[in-house]
Amino acid sequence: MKLRNHYLKENVTGYLFILPQALLFLLFIVYPILEGLRLSLFKVQYQKETFVGWDNYVTLFNDPVFFKSLVNTVVFVVFIVVLTVAFALFVASSVFDKNAKYVSFIRGSYYIPVMVSMVVMSMVWGFLLNPANGLISYAARELEFSTVNLLGNKNTVMPVIIFVTFATNVGQAIILYIASMIGVPKDLFEAAEVDGASRVQVIFKILIPLVKPTTLYIAIMNIIAVLKIFVVIQLLTGGGPNNSSVTMMYYLYNNAFKYNQLGVASAVGVIMFLITFLLSVPQLRAMFKEK
Amino acid sequence: MKIKNRISKWVMLGLVLVLAAGCASKENGGQENGSANAGSAKKKVEIALWLTPQWKGVFEASEANADYDSFFKYAAEKFAEQYDKYDVKVNVQVVAGDQRDELLNVNLNGGTAPDIFFESVFAMGDYAHRGALAPLNDIVDDAAKQDIAQSYWDNVTFGSDVYFYPFSHNPGTFAYNADMFKAAGLEKFVGGETEIKTWTLAEYEEILEALKTKLPKDQYSNAYPMALFALNNQADTWNLAYLRMFGNPFFDEQGKIVIDDERGVKSGEWLKKIYDAGYTNPGAESVSSNDANAMFQNQQLAISFTNAVLFNNAKADMEAGKAPKFDVRLANIPSESGDPLSFTYVVGSSVFNTGDEVRMQVAKDFVKFYSTDAELVKASKNGIPVRSSVAAEFKDQYPLFAAYDANAKYMFAFTGNVPGYSELRQVLYPELQAIYTDEKSPAQAIKDYQEKGNAVIQKAKENSTIK
Repeated sequence: MKLRNHYLKENVTGYLFILPQALLFLLFIVYPILEGLRLSLFKVQYQKETFVGWDNYVTLFNDPVFFKSLVNTVVFVVFIVVLTVAFALFVASSVFDKNAKYVSFIRGSYYIPVMVSMVVMSMVWGFLLNPANGLISYAARELEFSTVNLLGNKNTVMPVIIFVTFATNVGQAIILYIASMIGVPKDLFEAAEVDGASRVQVIFKILIPLVKPTTLYIAIMNIIAVLKIFVVIQLLTGGGPNNSSVTMMYYLYNNAFKYNQLGVASAVGVIMFLITFLLSVPQLRAMFKEK
Repeated sequence: MKIKNRISKWVMLGLVLVLAAGCASKENGGQENGSANAGSAKKKVEIALWLTPQWKGVFEASEANADYDSFFKYAAEKFAEQYDKYDVKVNVQVVAGDQRDELLNVNLNGGTAPDIFFESVFAMGDYAHRGALAPLNDIVDDAAKQDIAQSYWDNVTFGSDVYFYPFSHNPGTFAYNADMFKAAGLEKFVGGETEIKTWTLAEYEEILEALKTKLPKDQYSNAYPMALFALNNQADTWNLAYLRMFGNPFFDEQGKIVIDDERGVKSGEWLKKIYDAGYTNPGAESVSSNDANAMFQNQQLAISFTNAVLFNNAKADMEAGKAPKFDVRLANIPSESGDPLSFTYVVGSSVFNTGDEVRMQVAKDFVKFYSTDAELVKASKNGIPVRSSVAAEFKDQYPLFAAYDANAKYMFAFTGNVPGYSELRQVLYPELQAIYTDEKSPAQAIKDYQEKGNAVIQKAKENSTIK
């Protein structure tokens, strides 16, 4: 008993130090998750809440738009994350060992879109792509092409959103990769040079394996961010045409704030939480294993 | 070491207390409205009034610094001066029409709903069904009932209670650019300046064809005959009128959608026909009503949608040099039968059921004040007054009042007064998009809309607090 008391006394300072963060975590992360779980089992009306069991989930699984949003979200995650990692690796591995000023210039130019708010970026793209009075469609008309409406075509709307999101996000990944690559010990490159390794071999055999923790971090962060993709959809397409670009987050938003179906929206939230959790666990485990 | 430990414990305790105090003070902040002000004689009450953009200025858009909130700021000052129960401050906020439901739902769920909302009744009916609005029977007196026609009271009565105090109404029509018509050789179709011109459907198609082929490109480059939009939930009212073009009644007597018949499908096919023929702006599926309105003002569209307030605002913008000036006139939405398709939005005030009796009472008193005050009700001339007294006073000054009045017999209730209209308008535009993008045939889209729409209405009926 005395030993236990002593052990507790030893650690109480530590616990007190993490207490504010733990309180905030409980209040702003754990409580909303539990509340979301609870609400997903209720029908929420202005004056009352009624327990409906799994009804909200049944509603979801009977709604084809929900499945469309699920598929679209997966497509976004796969394409945006793969494009971001591949392009960032390409740019970073091409420039990391060049002149410092040149590296700074490249870093800066790719980072500018990251600093600009996604809302502003979406509005600029919206102006460019508007089929009736946008710049791209105007140019197409002037050049005597047929009417261009990339956002109104269900085959082109997804690639456009993928490109816009990728172009806005890739700067962050490039910065992280360049920093990570600059940190790779120089003697490895020198040894490779002595052995007569080509640039491609250096990149694939030394650089990419050594920046694996960064790749994992970028992949996890981007997966989580893209799962929640919303602003671009809301401002550019409104989920259209005919729900072709609706994502889970947009579907959740519509249910919660446009249709006032808080229970259904919470059920979407719970499903999104589970997906993110399942996707993140193996990657986090791999990351901790590395360390 | 021991001292160090003790210090860190106290620091931590302090941090926790600061955190707790922060949370507590926030709670107090939320209750500030309506709390007593010990220093003054009257108790201080703050209420929030939200509105979507209506008319600019107190009475006229030509006033200095005229804006959408001018009227309510002026009304609030006048109200506060004469109100003897409380020391009232009214916070007026203009919110975008397409963001209304999001804002209201967030604030309703967060317990921070506004006290008053001034808006078209059709867009707010759902909140009455949800039990979020307070009945206004106690502020409607006999004088008001006599001055405002029964049809308007029917529009704002849900079950047996009045939920909106009608202020004005806003008939929806077409606006057309008479200069563009003349340039395309369509003089014979141009109506008078104070007329709402009625064309037959055949004439309308002739107009669209001429605007497409005969409009001089050097004078109007990048211009299209007619506005068509289906980007978001704002794409409901005029599109709902087009869907009645071939005589479909849209709702049956039980409030169910019955658009899926030969006449309904024909109207869907007509929309697709004029879209494919290039009679409208391109990319209707990605164009919003705001885009269409801006294009019309920039003379990129010859015919667009409008209502009484929008029409007056457009004219005022032209006069003030904020928009290119051209000869803008009104026309009815045509139909196959030859009768115009006519509808109106009744605009009025609702009071939210915030649970705070004092604020609700003040809100009701304020609504009654600006909806009955002899001077303030004159502002309803910016739309069409619901009060016979105001309409009679201004009828010589505003000859269009008579033209709108002549349309009254063709009026249809475009919402069918069904519950769940807010969600119902969310299921229309995806189906219209499907038509324009060839994803569905008009017949399939009409069928799907009826099915989804009726499911929405059914669900809303079950959840309605009004029996």
